[in-house]
Amino acid sequence: MPTNVIMPQMGESIFEGTITKWMKRLGDRVERDEALFEISTDKVDSEIPAPVSGVLSELRFQVGETVEINTVVAIIDDEDWAVGTTNSVNLDQQVANEGKASQLQHSKSELSKNQVAQRSSPLVKRMAREEKVDLSDVEGTGLGGRITKQDMLDYLSERNKIVEVARPLVQPVQKESVSFITSSGDDEVVPMSAMRKTIADHMIASRRTSAHVTTVFEVNMTPIVALRKQLADEFIRKEGFKLSFMPFFIKGVVDSLKKFPVMNASLKGNNIIYRKEINIGIAVALEEGLIVPVIQGVHEIGFMSLARAAVDLTDRARQKTLSPDEVQGGTFTITNPGVFGSLLGTPIINQPQVAILCVGAITKRPVVINDAVVIRSMAYLSLTFDHRLIDGALADYFMSSIKNKLEGWNDSIC
Amino acid sequence: MPFEKKLLLDMLYYMKLTRELETRIEQKLYRQGKIVGGVYGGRGQEAIAVGSSIQLMKDDCICPSHRDMGAFLIRGLSPREVLAHYMGRKTGVSQGKEANMHMGDMRRNIVAFVSMLADTVPVAAGIAMAYKMRRQRNVVLCYFGDGATSRGDWHEGLNLAAVQKVPVIYLCNNNQYAYSTPLEKQMPIKDISIRAEAYAMPGVTVDGNDVVAVYKATQEAVDRARSGGGATLIECKTFRMTGHAAHDDVKYVPKELFEAWAKKDPILKLESSLIQDQVMSEKEVRLMQTRITTEVNEAVKLAENDPFPDPKDTLKGVYADQLIEAPLAFAKSFFFSGRKE
Amino acid sequence: MSATTYVEAIRQGLWEEMVRDPNVFVLGEDVGVYGGAFKVTRGFLDRFGEERVVDTPLSESAIVGASIGAALVGMRPVAEMQFADFISCAFDQITNFAAKCRYRWGASVPLVIRGPSGGGIHGGPFHSQNPEMHFVHTPGLKVVAPSTAYDAKGLIKSAIRDEDPVIYFEHKYLYRRIKEELPNDEFLVPIGKADIKRKGKDVSLITYGAMVHNALEAAKVLAQDGVDLEVVDLRTLVPLDKATVLESVKKTNKVILLHEDVRTGGFAGELAAIIAEETFEYLDGPVMRITAPDTPVPFSPPLEEFFLPKTSDIIRVAKQLAIY
Repeated sequence: MPTNVIMPQMGESIFEGTITKWMKRLGDRVERDEALFEISTDKVDSEIPAPVSGVLSELRFQVGETVEINTVVAIIDDEDWAVGTTNSVNLDQQVANEGKASQLQHSKSELSKNQVAQRSSPLVKRMAREEKVDLSDVEGTGLGGRITKQDMLDYLSERNKIVEVARPLVQPVQKESVSFITSSGDDEVVPMSAMRKTIADHMIASRRTSAHVTTVFEVNMTPIVALRKQLADEFIRKEGFKLSFMPFFIKGVVDSLKKFPVMNASLKGNNIIYRKEINIGIAVALEEGLIVPVIQGVHEIGFMSLARAAVDLTDRARQKTLSPDEVQGGTFTITNPGVFGSLLGTPIINQPQVAILCVGAITKRPVVINDAVVIRSMAYLSLTFDHRLIDGALADYFMSSIKNKLEGWNDSIC
Repeated sequence: MPFEKKLLLDMLYYMKLTRELETRIEQKLYRQGKIVGGVYGGRGQEAIAVGSSIQLMKDDCICPSHRDMGAFLIRGLSPREVLAHYMGRKTGVSQGKEANMHMGDMRRNIVAFVSMLADTVPVAAGIAMAYKMRRQRNVVLCYFGDGATSRGDWHEGLNLAAVQKVPVIYLCNNNQYAYSTPLEKQMPIKDISIRAEAYAMPGVTVDGNDVVAVYKATQEAVDRARSGGGATLIECKTFRMTGHAAHDDVKYVPKELFEAWAKKDPILKLESSLIQDQVMSEKEVRLMQTRITTEVNEAVKLAENDPFPDPKDTLKGVYADQLIEAPLAFAKSFFFSGRKE
Repeated sequence: MSATTYVEAIRQGLWEEMVRDPNVFVLGEDVGVYGGAFKVTRGFLDRFGEERVVDTPLSESAIVGASIGAALVGMRPVAEMQFADFISCAFDQITNFAAKCRYRWGASVPLVIRGPSGGGIHGGPFHSQNPEMHFVHTPGLKVVAPSTAYDAKGLIKSAIRDEDPVIYFEHKYLYRRIKEELPNDEFLVPIGKADIKRKGKDVSLITYGAMVHNALEAAKVLAQDGVDLEVVDLRTLVPLDKATVLESVKKTNKVILLHEDVRTGGFAGELAAIIAEETFEYLDGPVMRITAPDTPVPFSPPLEEFFLPKTSDIIRVAKQLAIY
């Protein structure tokens, strides 16, 4: 008869525990009272003994997972069901063995083609073929890390659904430990919307992935302010929309990205992927959250097309008529909280990019030029970059390049 | 002409036709490779099948064995049909599915036997049970050799037929050899007919080379069966004048036996008796032979030109209402058209 | 109307066919005066008479041989093997004569051979076997194995009406243990059509005979644990309803093949080959088999219990396969 192994309550006020170690693997024999797993709770760390003798036939939670008390974490079954060690495919074991042989650390994302093939069933391979999925991009949650049908379905629905926020390509965030937050009688408990949840996941995942560092530059926007004022009426007449500052910033960023291509790259494990295209995402604030439409192929577009594209995308973002293609594929993001009055921000990188530029409000400030105090239209530009890939000096060269471009604007507009 | 004369002429005709056809099959077509596999003939035993089956009614049933070519011919299979079957053509009664004397056609009330000889013995009992249930005044004539009487089915069949008291005539062709096994190695008794007593049915021993004797013995048994008197076992004593099959060099049979039995040839026996009784002249006998030879020649020519069955016919006829899948059907569809890229 | 037991359902089906068609008759050991060892033909002798309810000698081979003969001339015999185990005595008649008549010379042999198969009743090696595979393996025969009273009645009628020889294996364990309300109106269950006894989406379980009930029991327990088992009852082994089986596998992508018969040469092997070949790219887990071991059926209760596939085994395998 199978026996449930539960997360015990190690104290009156304890409501959950985190598994910190499994002493046994699936299929192992276990004796009654023998140490089976270790847990960590708010109060104490403990070794938990097996309630009966038998064979560990199910292991429902992994090391690092936190579950509520009395949850069944494993099942011990009769002797008969001892797994034959020769036949069970234990991927972790195989990976460990191969690791020993080559003396390299293997992470799941680096599994060789064979290992990917082994952990995918014929069904999964067919789905991959039909839907053009690279299996090394799919996380396997099945036995021994294999990719299951559900893993594929989850991957595909993620990829295909109309997302409100560009989907992070990082590993999905592990289940957050439910910190014990209480709500009392009058408090209103509202579940997060899907968009909110996605943004939340994305943001925290990004923080956990990149080494965020922010550098701030001050830019003299006076020439561009003047130019813009000059062209304002003609622009409205010709194009039907107001010329904003965004196309200028985009152009500045693009020209600088061409000079510093590493700012337009992505990191995959220990590999740097230099993107051929420059696709700029523009963060757009919505009532319920934010969305980042992407202007594709900006490196090839002229100023006017840029301006039009920016307006079109931001309008449609607000109208919620963007297509999935239009929120994907960004290589660099610009966020502009300046329109709301913010002077300076410390934005979070939009994964899998390595940098994000935050444009603060353009305000008239006293500045010193040639030892004299003058009034100029100034804006703080802050760049958050991923220090795993980019060092401070390079980030600053990049920002200097943008600053110089903007301050010395002499591009033709038409 | 009087009934008896016609009957005698018919019996001679069929015996001679049997002889001619089987000789053509074994000595010519088989050796020319036009018939493949194995051929089994009833040379020297023609009187048994002919004398017994010639008296049956159309709705009586026969369960012949592999020495009973005459019975097939009497029951309506033409020499051309027989040859087409032997040569594996589409036009034979088995449409290429079966070989040599495994012929059958329920429209002509001929049951095709299986190689497990004596299997037809209980089958015949069952047919007779059906006749009895339906109050049909028909009989079943079941043929088998000496070897077959050693099988369990033989005994089970006779026992059942006797207990159920059904209209069946069990006719044993005792040609004294089952392949290379002589009678004394086959059974501890000398006469198979005594086994009838174990099944409380009349057992009759008859000269299997005397077609008239066979006819008369069978007649008695048929009358008994038709009138509700139950089964009879008739043992026809004869000799197998060939090997077991065409491929058998038959060295195990003493030559003297062949020589002795050649003198008792059933066809010669009837011919000389007919000539002696002036029922037929020698010339008429020769004319009959010529007629038969021509008949067989024509049959051979036609059958030789008959088409072989379509290879795909292999899959047909297993069930009344089911198709059989070709073994590579899936492989073909999967590799060449089924896969989405 | 009260529920009908499995054995009563067979009896009813057989009776109705004998009433409907005067060519149908029954033969076998102890079927007449005694009404059959399991009382399947109780009352038949009085109603239909000696000629249509034949008490035969102890001669399985002759029983079948005679059935073949009668069938050849237009009767519809239903031959009883007192225990399905004894069918081996008639192996030659069944596989060489009955099975091959149509193919060899176009002759129809519309006979039915029926008998109680299966274990679980302390019958020992010769009263508990599942001999179906000998006949599944012989082209020209049809083989059916109903699991419910409804299917038993519908299938015996279809078997009798079929133009080809049908071997009908009734599971003796189910005789009086299962019952259900049957329709008053006449109904047939087609030969060659499987039945999904329980729809599910996680794992397909393909089976037949008494094991259908073990599977359904397992399904109830599994449902509580979040595993949704689809139970496909083959009902007919030959001709196989391949389409229903493969459709189920394509839907769930995981399959268990279950039968009470021994492992080697059992029907699960045949199904596994078909599934591996024709639904290879739909499999998300290995094709699992749950069968008896390759031994004769032992007598002593603890031995027989070990021998027969258990519901708990089904639960375990299904659970593991589902989470694989």
